[in-house]
Amino acid sequence: MKIVAILTTLLLFISLYLIFGYAQIERSMLEVQKIFYFHVSAALTVFVAFGVNFVFSIKYLIQRKPNDDLLAAAAAELGVVFCTIALLSGPIWARYAWNTWWNWEPRLTSTLILWLMYIGYFMLRSALAPHKRKIYSAVLGTIAYLEVPIVYYSVNIWQGGMHPGTGTKWNLEATMRHTWMVALVAFILLFTLLLTLRYQLKKTEARYHRIQQQHLGEVKS
Amino acid sequence: MRMVILASFLIVLGFFLATRVPVTLTADEVAGAVSDAIAEAQAPVDEERVEQVVRRSIEKLEAAQRYRLKYLAGAYFVIWLVFMLYVLRLGQQQKALDQRLAQLEQAPDANVSFQNPTAI
Repeated sequence: MKIVAILTTLLLFISLYLIFGYAQIERSMLEVQKIFYFHVSAALTVFVAFGVNFVFSIKYLIQRKPNDDLLAAAAAELGVVFCTIALLSGPIWARYAWNTWWNWEPRLTSTLILWLMYIGYFMLRSALAPHKRKIYSAVLGTIAYLEVPIVYYSVNIWQGGMHPGTGTKWNLEATMRHTWMVALVAFILLFTLLLTLRYQLKKTEARYHRIQQQHLGEVKS
Repeated sequence: MRMVILASFLIVLGFFLATRVPVTLTADEVAGAVSDAIAEAQAPVDEERVEQVVRRSIEKLEAAQRYRLKYLAGAYFVIWLVFMLYVLRLGQQQKALDQRLAQLEQAPDANVSFQNPTAI
C-alpha cells in the first residue's frame, strides 16, 4: 500500500514534468493541447474503474459475498470522480479548440450518459433497503457497463463527431506518446490507491453498522 | 507520506528549472535583431517603423499565449480541485467513523447514541 502511494506520487510528479518540460508543443493548438495528457488518462481510467465495478458486480451476483458489493461500489464512486474530471476538463479544451464549451457530438453525449447512469447507480443504492441494495445495484452495475464500449467506439459508430478516432493517440509524436503513457500509468495507480482506501473505509463502515446492530439487539433483549 | 510528496515536488521542480530554458526577448534583443535584418537586407527601410511593427507582432503573440495559458491553467486547476475535494471528503468520512468507533468501544453497554457515521 505504501509502495503504491509512493510510486503514484512519484509518477504523478514525473508526468507533470514530462507534460510541461519534455513533451513537444503541438503545432495547431499549441500549449492548450497539454490538457490532453490528464484529460485522456482520466477518461481511460473511467473505463478501468467501471470495469472493476462490472467484474465485482457479476462476482457478487454469482457468489453473494458482501465485500464484492463494497468493492464494486467503491470502484463506481471513483469512476464517477474520474468521469467528472474528464467531463470538466474536456469543455475547457473544447472552448479553445472548437470555440464552444459543449457540443452534442457522439463522444461527449455518450460520456455524459455514462456519468448519469452511474449517478443513477448511487441514487438507487441510497434509495433501497440494505438487503435489496446489493443485488439491485449489482444488476445495474452490470447493465451500465454496456455503455463503456459505446462511449469508446462512438467516434467510429457515428461519423461526423469532433473527437479524433480511437487509434489516434498511438500515432502521436514520440515525446507526446511517452508523456501520455506515463500519465496514464500514474492515473491508473492513483485509481488503485484511492480504490484501496475507499474499499477499506467501506469495510470499516460495514463493520461499524454490524457492531451497531449487535448493540441495538442487546438493548432490545 | 507528506515528506515523499514534498521531496517529489522539489525534485521535479528542480529538474524542470534546470532543464527548461525560458524564451524571453528583451527590448534590446528585438532592436538588435531588427538592425541585423535591415543590414542583411541591404535595402533602404525606415528602421523605426520596422521596429514598431516587430514589437506589435511580439505583443500580439504574447497576448495569444496568455490567452492559451488561461485555458491550460484552468483545466489543471479543475482536475486538482476535483481530486482535492474527493480526498477531503474521504478524510472527513474516515475521521467521523473513527470517532464513532472509539465511542462504541468506550461504551460497550450500548449507552451510545448511534448515528450514521457517513452523515457529515
